[in-house]
Amino acid sequence: MTTRPSDYLTKRLTDQMTRITIPIGPQHPALKEPLSFLLTVEGERIVESVLRLGYVHRGIERICQNRNYVQNVHVVERVCGICSHIHTTVYCQGVEALLGLQVPPRALYLRTLLCELERIHSHMLWLGVLAENVGFTTIFMYAWRDREIVLDIMEELSGGRVAHAVNVIGGVRVDVDEPQVDSILMRLDELEQRIETLLGVIQHERTFQVRTRGVGHLSAEQVRRYCVVGPTARASGVDVDMRRDAPYAAYDRLDFRVITAEEGDVWARTMVRVPETIESLHMCQQLLTGLPDGPTTVRARRRVPPGEVVSRAEAPRGELIYYIRSDGSDRPARVKIRTPTLPALSTLPDQLRGVHTADVPAVLAGVDLCIACADR
Amino acid sequence: MLMEAILQALRETFPAETIEARAVPIGETFVALPPDCLHPAAQVLVERFDLRHLSTITGQDTGSAIELLYHFWDGGGLTLRTSLPREEPHIATLTDLIPGAAFYEREVCEMLGVTFDGHPDPRALLLPDDWDKEQLPMRMTNDQSIDHPTKRLPDQETHRPND
Amino acid sequence: MLDRIVRWARRKSPWILHFNSGGCNGCDIEILDLLTPRYDVERLGILKEASPRHADILLCTGPVTRQSRDRLRRIYEQMPAPRWVVAVGSCSCSGAIFRDGYNVLGGIDQVLPVDMYIPGCPCRPEAMIDGLVRLLGTI
Repeated sequence: MTTRPSDYLTKRLTDQMTRITIPIGPQHPALKEPLSFLLTVEGERIVESVLRLGYVHRGIERICQNRNYVQNVHVVERVCGICSHIHTTVYCQGVEALLGLQVPPRALYLRTLLCELERIHSHMLWLGVLAENVGFTTIFMYAWRDREIVLDIMEELSGGRVAHAVNVIGGVRVDVDEPQVDSILMRLDELEQRIETLLGVIQHERTFQVRTRGVGHLSAEQVRRYCVVGPTARASGVDVDMRRDAPYAAYDRLDFRVITAEEGDVWARTMVRVPETIESLHMCQQLLTGLPDGPTTVRARRRVPPGEVVSRAEAPRGELIYYIRSDGSDRPARVKIRTPTLPALSTLPDQLRGVHTADVPAVLAGVDLCIACADR
Repeated sequence: MLMEAILQALRETFPAETIEARAVPIGETFVALPPDCLHPAAQVLVERFDLRHLSTITGQDTGSAIELLYHFWDGGGLTLRTSLPREEPHIATLTDLIPGAAFYEREVCEMLGVTFDGHPDPRALLLPDDWDKEQLPMRMTNDQSIDHPTKRLPDQETHRPND
Repeated sequence: MLDRIVRWARRKSPWILHFNSGGCNGCDIEILDLLTPRYDVERLGILKEASPRHADILLCTGPVTRQSRDRLRRIYEQMPAPRWVVAVGSCSCSGAIFRDGYNVLGGIDQVLPVDMYIPGCPCRPEAMIDGLVRLLGTI
């Protein structure tokens, strides 16, 4: 059988033309942080993608070795601006375990309160970023406007909207009194109504669902293979949550649900994170109404006896793990940080395969990237 | 108890080694193994106990050796510790059992110079393209010049007002 | 006369490009906060642009890391003149807490000429608006 010349020419042309490489470079409107992708597309569908990290790599682990334990609380807080409090929580927890300190219950409650407030602010930030990436700018504006309530509460408690510096080795450096607790509870009630409204809008808005359903799919098997953690794992049906599995701070005294979903796409991640925000609100209410009396800090020695510790917690994006080794001086010998975004990044080539180019911002936002966390 | 069952299984797999568990804060169990036992131990964990969550791989230079710590999690923390010599350290990769270990091994490779035999993609993860491959940032050396605040690259101009 | 009109137009509609050259995100989320209803810099004529070729002011956060140094330079070169560079946050002013990182070269004035330094860790949105208004006053 002979092929006609026009068939042959068409096949040659489409073979040569179909694969193009598109860089999603360090500067891109869909990316809030520098990250480099090289996407190989065939027509409109992505065939392969290559990731380049390292634009935000500041060498924090080595910086920590050159500073003493107290200075490291400030260094570690600046690994990431969105989840700064959980980094200091995990670090201080680890050093307190090395020192053998018993942190007072009031300090643990206040630490947990800030952890949950930070989870609320991080998830609302994420919701706004996802909505903006799929074109729903109204939800971006509404979510970030309502997020200001949480930032105001955090500023009242600690003095900073984003970097709180609440944790010290031995406890917390802030305290609340009765009128403050009442005022915060009132504002949290208002915030709960607003988040319920946002959830209602998302669940009824068909365009948002069309842009997020079926996009960026991860099966439970892929989640376990790549050791993904956090809401991304819970959205694929893998039930892991450090707050329940390894309670730290005041979590063993709280009553909360762990939210999971089954579909494993960006829509499922939305349906995990937004109800999780409401769950965190209820936890904040429990913490504020059940605040025990007592001191907020114990005195900590500067020199830490030799030893090692592995400290874990549930950051807004998943399991955060620190390994700290001390050699008896006032500087740590090794601080190893693994943030939850790093395993999620290793799934991105799988998630992007077969996706339309127009859905790339939705996939990137669905994973809740924090490249500053991943690069350290 | 899961940890007891795991220790028993490791003792059966390596009858020549003394498997001792050490409790380390916070709620972690440390087990020390020689380097060539690490891949079979991970195989036992994955195949017999379905323990596939590797939190991270810590590499550290203790001065006399390069230590690798594999932090696993399954309701409780289990860390496998192994020591490699400082010259030409190499160990088998875990990516055939746990693909999620790829990023962690790449980072240990570029920071400490450990070669992971059989790694599918041993590029640098975090260090820049123009970094000197001989310089390993997490090794203990007396050379502190890479930490100096006023270091400059050879082709660097500065626009600082008073420089 | 035409000159005055052009200068008035530039002062009343400065379009910004935001680039994070290695920062922790704290200042970045405060920059995004500027666009949201509480601080709303669109009332000053400021829009956040997607491409360097449409922007007048480069808002840069974070210290310069070795990997992002060349990209920062290229972004600056792509911006058409007249262009201004604002260093937002202590890290981009001087490198701040990361100055001795092995991958960090310092503030962005190691790479670009900076017109306005706005310190803070992280920088508050009110401070950013103050810095931007002062910069616009010099145009």
